[in-house]
Amino acid sequence: MRGFLFGLWQIILVLMLAPLLDGIMRKLVALVHSRIGPPVHQPYLDLLKLLGKEEMVSSPYTFFRYSAVLALAAILTSAVLVPLGAAPPMESSGDIIVFIYLVTLAAVMVVLSGITSDSPFSFIGASREVMFLLTVEPVIVVALVIMAIKAQSTQFSDVIAYHAQAPFSLSVLIAGGGLFLAIIAQMARLPFDTVEADQEIMEGPFIEQSGPKLALFKWMIYVKQLIFAAVFIAVFIPWPMFENYGLSLVTILVKMAILLLLVAVVHVVNPRLRIDQAVRFFLILLVLEIGGLAFALVGS
Amino acid sequence: MPTFFAAVAIYLTGALITLWMGDRRRSIGWVAWGASSLATVLILACVIQVFTSGPIIMEKALWQVPGLGASLLFRIDYLSALFLAIISIISVLVTLYAQSFMQIAHYQQQSLRYFYAVLLLFFAAVIAVVAISDLFFFFIFWEMMTLCSYLLVIYRSNDATRLRAGFKYFFMTHVATAFLFIGGLVLYLHSGSFSFTALKSAMVQMQSASPGLLHLVLGFFLLGFATKAGILPMGDWLPDAYPAAPAPASVSFAGSMTKLGIYGVIRVFCDFLPAGSHSQVWGLTIACLGAISILVGTMTALVQEDAKRLLSFHVIGQMGYIFLAIGTGIYFLPVQPVLAIIALGAGIFHLINNVCYKSCLFFVAGSVFYKVGTRDINKIGGLATILPLTAGVAVIAFLSIAGIPPFSGFSSKWLIYEATLRGGFLKPVFVILGLLAIFVSAVTLASFIKFIGSVFYGKYADNKSKAKTGDVPWSMQIPQFVLAGLCILFGLFPRLPVQWIFRALTPLFPPGFVGDASSVYGHSTLAGLELHVNDAAAGWQALPLFVVFVLCAALAFYLFRSAKVTQRADQTWFGGEPIKNEDGRYRAHSYYLPFKQIFRIRIGKYERPGVYPTIRYPDIHLKKDDFWHRLIDVDRWFYTPLVNATMRFLRFFSNTHSGLPHVYLLWMLIGALLTVILLFAFSAGK
Repeated sequence: MRGFLFGLWQIILVLMLAPLLDGIMRKLVALVHSRIGPPVHQPYLDLLKLLGKEEMVSSPYTFFRYSAVLALAAILTSAVLVPLGAAPPMESSGDIIVFIYLVTLAAVMVVLSGITSDSPFSFIGASREVMFLLTVEPVIVVALVIMAIKAQSTQFSDVIAYHAQAPFSLSVLIAGGGLFLAIIAQMARLPFDTVEADQEIMEGPFIEQSGPKLALFKWMIYVKQLIFAAVFIAVFIPWPMFENYGLSLVTILVKMAILLLLVAVVHVVNPRLRIDQAVRFFLILLVLEIGGLAFALVGS
Repeated sequence: MPTFFAAVAIYLTGALITLWMGDRRRSIGWVAWGASSLATVLILACVIQVFTSGPIIMEKALWQVPGLGASLLFRIDYLSALFLAIISIISVLVTLYAQSFMQIAHYQQQSLRYFYAVLLLFFAAVIAVVAISDLFFFFIFWEMMTLCSYLLVIYRSNDATRLRAGFKYFFMTHVATAFLFIGGLVLYLHSGSFSFTALKSAMVQMQSASPGLLHLVLGFFLLGFATKAGILPMGDWLPDAYPAAPAPASVSFAGSMTKLGIYGVIRVFCDFLPAGSHSQVWGLTIACLGAISILVGTMTALVQEDAKRLLSFHVIGQMGYIFLAIGTGIYFLPVQPVLAIIALGAGIFHLINNVCYKSCLFFVAGSVFYKVGTRDINKIGGLATILPLTAGVAVIAFLSIAGIPPFSGFSSKWLIYEATLRGGFLKPVFVILGLLAIFVSAVTLASFIKFIGSVFYGKYADNKSKAKTGDVPWSMQIPQFVLAGLCILFGLFPRLPVQWIFRALTPLFPPGFVGDASSVYGHSTLAGLELHVNDAAAGWQALPLFVVFVLCAALAFYLFRSAKVTQRADQTWFGGEPIKNEDGRYRAHSYYLPFKQIFRIRIGKYERPGVYPTIRYPDIHLKKDDFWHRLIDVDRWFYTPLVNATMRFLRFFSNTHSGLPHVYLLWMLIGALLTVILLFAFSAGK
């Protein structure tokens, strides 16, 4: 029961903090661009505006209307399996694999919203989203499995506990690098924002989404961004560790800001990859990751 | 045991009645359904009896084959009971579905009695295969099942592709059965009896006395069972035979026949074979075969554009998952009992789930065919508006097969991933196999998104106008609903089936092999699975997470509705251009083109759109008067001359029927005279 309540607290925390993180990200991008940029609370204003806008319905299917709700719900559920300043609240209910598939559920909902709309753009976006799923997800899985092999467990808390005291090894570095690139794709940042690709296919799966639905989808993307940043930090940069929950939460936010700065730099200096280039990139990355896995299996 | 025989008798009687009923196209289906549901009730009674008061064992054989150590002896243990339950439930759903499905114009020219009679005979054979405990009769029922399924594949035989698919199926499965038979005979030479207990002790003996020969025997058995299960490269018949058969028949293959390959593997490798070095060798082989099937089957499914062919390749892929899990289990039998039980249980759990969602998807493909009369998914679209319930069922089955929580496919796949990854901590190769399974799970998802997106969603295709309005009839809906319901039930309460499977598996091993279910799967009773292998814990509790999900959905829905915005229906935006529906369609072919191009095999000018090796069987064209041609043409040198001679004789003989009384008197006189002469001749000889 305690885990459940703590899980609910973490869900609320994630839901409320996620737009702030995106605001920081925009500010950082503007910084690298030498612009002033929007205020940090701009994403909240965007969401509020969208929630109050008229809802346009251009397709008769159920999933077109409610996949946004389900997508946000799925990604929020995955938040209870993620370490954020403490051990994951409901760890006994799901390990790393369950977490990965809950994130996949959210992606499936995005895809379903794309294929239930009539627009060919959204179909192209959905198709690209699935191709990303096919190539990015394995990279994340392999990176986390490398850590799982190191710790001989598939639970986040064991992985963190192991990693906090073990020295860096080659396989961990490979896993970390792979996960960082995969996270950029999960955050839909350049050079991997091929799925939405505003200038090309006009937000892809979201082209026909409007008003509150679009707000929920945007919120889902913010939350996903935060959760993946949290996973990366928890698994690869667990130091410094504090017993105090509030202190470690603050440290994590600081580390997230640093991580986002890195993402922002990559985002700014790179052009968008074409879908076939992105797919190839991640397949090659996958091969590298499997090399890292081999290192982990022989123990280095 | 009498209950079981009654069930078999009901199937057989049903087959006879349907054969006799002829072409009463409506009532014949209900008779078949009645027979199979009655039989199912009896079989389920048997199953409950097994699970409450132990295996049903026949004391005395029904029939002893003289001079051969074979006897018609049935024995329903826990494992058999599990498979009996699956098969009988599928038989009810299939016959119920066939009721309406077989009325379509496509089969109007065919007599339905051959379909129903063969179908019921098929089910009788399948349940006999599962319950028999004698290898000789196992082969007889196995063969009966294969022949019945062959007849179902070539049903509507005025179609060359069907005949070709049927022949391929016939040929490949019979070669496989031959291997099974050779393996059985070698064992028989060592045991002197075909009964399962004798074979078991023969294997124990051979393991130390002649390990090489035992390897050969196991290899033959694996070849035979893997062919039936559709494991590549032996399962090449499957993608041709499934689409050829009518939808209810495809479901009964997917739901019962291919699963018997798994039953055979478990029977031989877990029950007969004592845990030892042989289990390790063959466990790894089975797991690798499974991984190959997963990869090749599913990657090929990604490029298919025929609904049933797509599903058939997924059958191969999913059977690969089951083989992977069971192979992992067999490998760890001698070293890590708990891990082995988890892996074997995961395999059987996945089998049960596979029966649910794969049968459901075949039903859905059948319903789509029923509505629009085509299986080419490029030509279909937007069916969710006229088939809303079928579309909903299809989405549930699709999420389940793709392994998305909280549906059943995820629960079993999670167990498979955990088993392979934990196995990988001990033997690294299993990590690679497990990762392959995780990767291909996403490919499954992709493939079904294509299926769902191009069949049910998107632009309406032209054939929408041709389709009858309204969803498919209720007799076709109910089986789909039942299976989709099971997908949800087993997803939210994975512990329920897992507990049963655990009870079915443990009696195969010596007592004290593993503890009770709670020591393997944790203490939560209803929803949760908690694994503890080598001090590392992992859990998947569907229900608490589902509660969280529902709460989150409620929160999201509250946000969604918080501003109480108005809704407005409007046209889709096509960049400001008026556009015809047909131009705006995104066809099944277009999905994932860049990805498919990477996995295209291209050597010089030779190019294939997938990784699936299609074996071109050489067309044997013999010259008409070739000796071999004459030799294999039994019709020509044996049957036709025989029939002609008989007919000539009878025609000649009919001349005696002149109709004149005095001619008959003459014949009688001649007959009496001949009798007297013969009697004298014989008595004189004495």
